[in-house]
Amino acid sequence: MEARTRILARVRRALKERPKALLPEHPHTPLAEDPVDLLLRRLEENGAEAMKLPREEAKAFAQRLAEGLPGATFGKTLPQDLRPPLPELPPEEAPLGVSWALFAVAETGSVALSSEEGRRVHLLPPTHLVFVEAGRVYGSLLEALQDLQSLPSALGLHSGPSKSADIGQVMVKGVHGPGRLIVAVLL
Amino acid sequence: MRAKAKLYPKEAARLLREKPGVREAVTGATLHFERNRLRAYGEVSIGAWRERAKAVKDHVLSHLDHYLELAERRLRENGVQVHWAETLEDAHRVLREVVQRHGVRRAVKAKSMLTEELGVNPLLESLGVEVYETDLGEYLIQLLGEPPSHIVGPAIHLSLEEIQRLFHERFGTPLDAPPEALAQVARKVLREAFLTAELGISGANFLVAETGTLALMENEGNIRLSTSLPKVHVAFVGIEKLLPRFQDLALFLPLTARAATGQRLATFVSLIQGPAREGEEGPEEVHVVLVDNGRTALLADPEAWETLRCLRCGACLNACPVYRQTGGHPYGYVYSGPIGAVLDPGLLSLEEAYPLPYASSLCGACLEACPVLIPIPKLLLTWRHRAVAEGLTPSWEKAAMKAFRKVMESPALYRLFSKALRGLPLPQDLLPLLRAWTEGRGPLKPSPKPFHELWKEVERGG
Ligand code: SF4
Repeated sequence: MEARTRILARVRRALKERPKALLPEHPHTPLAEDPVDLLLRRLEENGAEAMKLPREEAKAFAQRLAEGLPGATFGKTLPQDLRPPLPELPPEEAPLGVSWALFAVAETGSVALSSEEGRRVHLLPPTHLVFVEAGRVYGSLLEALQDLQSLPSALGLHSGPSKSADIGQVMVKGVHGPGRLIVAVLL
Repeated sequence: MRAKAKLYPKEAARLLREKPGVREAVTGATLHFERNRLRAYGEVSIGAWRERAKAVKDHVLSHLDHYLELAERRLRENGVQVHWAETLEDAHRVLREVVQRHGVRRAVKAKSMLTEELGVNPLLESLGVEVYETDLGEYLIQLLGEPPSHIVGPAIHLSLEEIQRLFHERFGTPLDAPPEALAQVARKVLREAFLTAELGISGANFLVAETGTLALMENEGNIRLSTSLPKVHVAFVGIEKLLPRFQDLALFLPLTARAATGQRLATFVSLIQGPAREGEEGPEEVHVVLVDNGRTALLADPEAWETLRCLRCGACLNACPVYRQTGGHPYGYVYSGPIGAVLDPGLLSLEEAYPLPYASSLCGACLEACPVLIPIPKLLLTWRHRAVAEGLTPSWEKAAMKAFRKVMESPALYRLFSKALRGLPLPQDLLPLLRAWTEGRGPLKPSPKPFHELWKEVERGG
């Protein structure tokens, strides 16, 4: 507690004569286009694969993606019908993780993943398939953050495949997290 | 980290002489970052963004006591254990206790400048803990035993060939292995570390007071893994990292990404509210260490307090023509480049960091780049004034400045001296001022005709 008291006392002393600065508001900038279309474009620019499709087709897509795989790992909140018919593997062994996003942000090309889903499923498999409902796509990050009612223990915003240019300035994918991010927006 | 900032001019000259490849690598990488930043700034109303970001930071800093208390309260409500560290030793004590209580043998670390500042790795090693830096660039320099040379790209001074040689010696990969193959080797080693470490260590880009949220940005996924897999997570957070409201992240996350790498948002953002809840995966314990270590002294400084707005985006490093020649190592402290030159004298002492404010041409490119408008050029001059006032500048410099003034004030003397300089062989090794210049540089060659003569010729229509 001593350090706390001393730090706070020094802060107060430092600020005694300092004018107080006002806290500005953040303006909303309305989107000029459909948020789903912008989301898909931004995700692709970020190096992800992205598509919009009706739920039935999404199921078929997941099944095709799963073909020939020994198994997969699934987010806890993923609806049953979107699970490809594969045995469930531990995330550290699964070649595919399938999860359900809380929301998406168009302007940044991001999907938001809650820790209520689990965490390893989002991070360990080399390929990550994420479903998000079209109605949960926000135009801007500001709208999305202002709309959040409760916060999970960890919220991850994923905007593309894991990547690094640390080796000789050459872009490499799949360094620690998934090297392939596929986002399917359900219409 | 022990500071060797005093040696800056010598170290910079030595690096340029002995490792010419560094200049090439650093210049290439920083120009690449710089181009991306310019493109990303051009896409948005960047002027308004930067003004607003500065205003939010100034608000937090001018109400810092309030927001620190609020953040502490929220963090506790979220089940986070909060510690305050006035000094490096305080921070070490917190970490030592955690390590001992949990019998930690292995730790994974996410890149963080503050943990460099605090010397977290040497401490953990002295406690018998195996530490893995998990950011790919950090991992490379950990293998080499070097400090980071850039805030965002710690290994930008290394060429592909050097990394290929390093991996060849360490892991037996072929000398011409492509970057993908090297990254896969590192991924394998570090994946094993993620799955077995008991402790994850991180810094934080932001701490939101309103919600007690830690915000972290990265592109590889190693921060998400380091803060999700081990059963204990310790985050070191400088007291200046606070943001008032959760919604402020909507400005600061994209702004930092644009300034740092030109991205719209970092590939992975972690917003952490605390330990895993009932039935969830994730750390059982989350600790936040609020670190002062010189920051309250900076806050009290009537001018240099503005450096506390810094987002550690590295944009000023990329923009700096001086930094680009050498990268960060010669600066002798964790924070290098323009921000280091104005922050280090405040965090260390002016005496210890005295040469750094001189590592600049005062071109102003750093201010142009800075997302929170830190007046770096002005602060460089502030520290230089203080260095002169405190008598830190060498005596020959004072004498030389005096003589220079005399000569510059009198046209007759000026002409005489400039003629003498051109006519006589320069005693480069004798005059201390010239010697200071020629150490590590080529000899001075005055032009055959002085500027005022050339000008006269132009005026005459020559
Ligand atoms: S001083 Fe500005 S440009 Fe430099 S690292 Fe800090 S925020 Fe970025």
